[in-house]
Amino acid sequence: MSNITQKGSDEAEFAKPLYTPIKRRSFFMYAGATAGATALLLSGCDDDDDNVTTPSGTVNLGSGDVGVLNYAYALEQLEAAFYAKVIETPYSGITNDERTALTAIARHEAIHRDFFKAALTKAAATQIIPGLNPDFSKVNFNDRNSVLTTARTFEDLGVAAYNGAGSLIKTNDYLLIAGKIVSVEARHAAYIRDLITPGSFSGSDVVNAQGLDQALSVAQVLAAAQPFIKETLNGNDVGK
Amino acid sequence: MNLFKIISELEKVDPEIMDRLTHRRSALTALGDISKKMALAAAPIAIGSAFNKAMGQNNLSTVPAVLNYALLLERLEYSFYDQALKAPTLTVPLTGAARTAIETIRAHEQAHVTLLTTALGSQADPAPNFDFGTTAFATYDSFLTFAQAFEDTGVRAYKGQAVTIKTAGNPNNVLQTALQIHSVEARHAAHIRYMRRGVTAGNQTTIMPWIVNAEANGAPAPVYGAGNPSATFPAEDNLAQGGITDLTTALGATYTAADVSAAFDEGLDSTTVTTIARSVVKF
Repeated sequence: MSNITQKGSDEAEFAKPLYTPIKRRSFFMYAGATAGATALLLSGCDDDDDNVTTPSGTVNLGSGDVGVLNYAYALEQLEAAFYAKVIETPYSGITNDERTALTAIARHEAIHRDFFKAALTKAAATQIIPGLNPDFSKVNFNDRNSVLTTARTFEDLGVAAYNGAGSLIKTNDYLLIAGKIVSVEARHAAYIRDLITPGSFSGSDVVNAQGLDQALSVAQVLAAAQPFIKETLNGNDVGK
Repeated sequence: MNLFKIISELEKVDPEIMDRLTHRRSALTALGDISKKMALAAAPIAIGSAFNKAMGQNNLSTVPAVLNYALLLERLEYSFYDQALKAPTLTVPLTGAARTAIETIRAHEQAHVTLLTTALGSQADPAPNFDFGTTAFATYDSFLTFAQAFEDTGVRAYKGQAVTIKTAGNPNNVLQTALQIHSVEARHAAHIRYMRRGVTAGNQTTIMPWIVNAEANGAPAPVYGAGNPSATFPAEDNLAQGGITDLTTALGATYTAADVSAAFDEGLDSTTVTTIARSVVKF
């Protein structure tokens, strides 16, 4: 059934599964018993090999700044779940140095995820998206290259997403916070890229001839992220 | 009275006067408003005051002012890497992959200078000369320490202007371009930090690509300190975000201060950034 193991350390906290938040009392208050019960049912199922029980609902990220926050929350959920799995099942040949850095990254992403959940709870508790179910079936967590290239995809995508979303944000405080997070994602991206190919921290595939990093629209980012998320994300109104 | 003639006369004395006025038309509009309200005899004093304001302003509020500030920082960074790559003291240690990385970073800084100069057109400030003194390029260790300071400060500087650009109306989506530069500076910072782990680089074996607490790793402490106002621009060891006072305990899980502080980079105001820059570079 569940592949989640209980640990007595801090790691159990940041390694908690994506769907844990959905079980919380607060979610029932907003989403109603039906959605909550469905989520509980699904959370008890193996998420790797059983298509019948795969959640197939659509999650609408919403509009305006709340939409942007949900958009960020969705991406951070994905990253946090990914790195939690990387730390839980380290790839073959991982060095102590890599483990230390990847553990730190896992915590950063878990903090981002939990922060957005808390910020949304403060700002618009009824509009917060549920915990999403990741699909990492194409990732071989035992293989260094598979793990690091997936990490690179997520980090570069995160940078491009925040860069593209900045001008959609209406509230000054949220814009500053997005700026505080995007540069950390860029630091992660640079580190991961250097692990794959030393010196590729700002390669020409992400930084153009004008010296500019990528900036992608919500639609472009969601198209790239969708294969890793079981629910279908609808970001049509984000920032509008 | 003929305002154009006065400005023309001023330009003869000070050829850079128009560069100091952030926007010719808005300066004239401001002067026009003042002269309407004041007696003709008092107008020259009001004009002088308007020019002083333009020439001495620290608080950036217009997009050209922000872009000129960014241009200054990019020119500083480009000069720094350019001088490093040409420094005889660094010929031996700055070699192979390290040299290639610094050349890549220099190329990006140059691209940023070109981009900003083009965007500003005739409003671009003249390029100053940068004197990094005797220690910056004395050793490989020292060079990388300076590089870390400049890159981390650069990241903070761009972040600190995001809201200013937005408030100024974000013409031509300058905000997105600034963000696209901002994340490149962060990539540079991460790489420079990792370069510092080598023996010839001073062996900072515990340094991470991100900023842990407000650890300066040998760089000037103010690079990681608070700006002004500190509520908007706290030090890098800040644990409060978005009105949540302590993320180590407020998120339903327990996180260390090291992880929380590293998960968020902080912004910095232009006055603090300029003060930091002038503490290590003459320009």
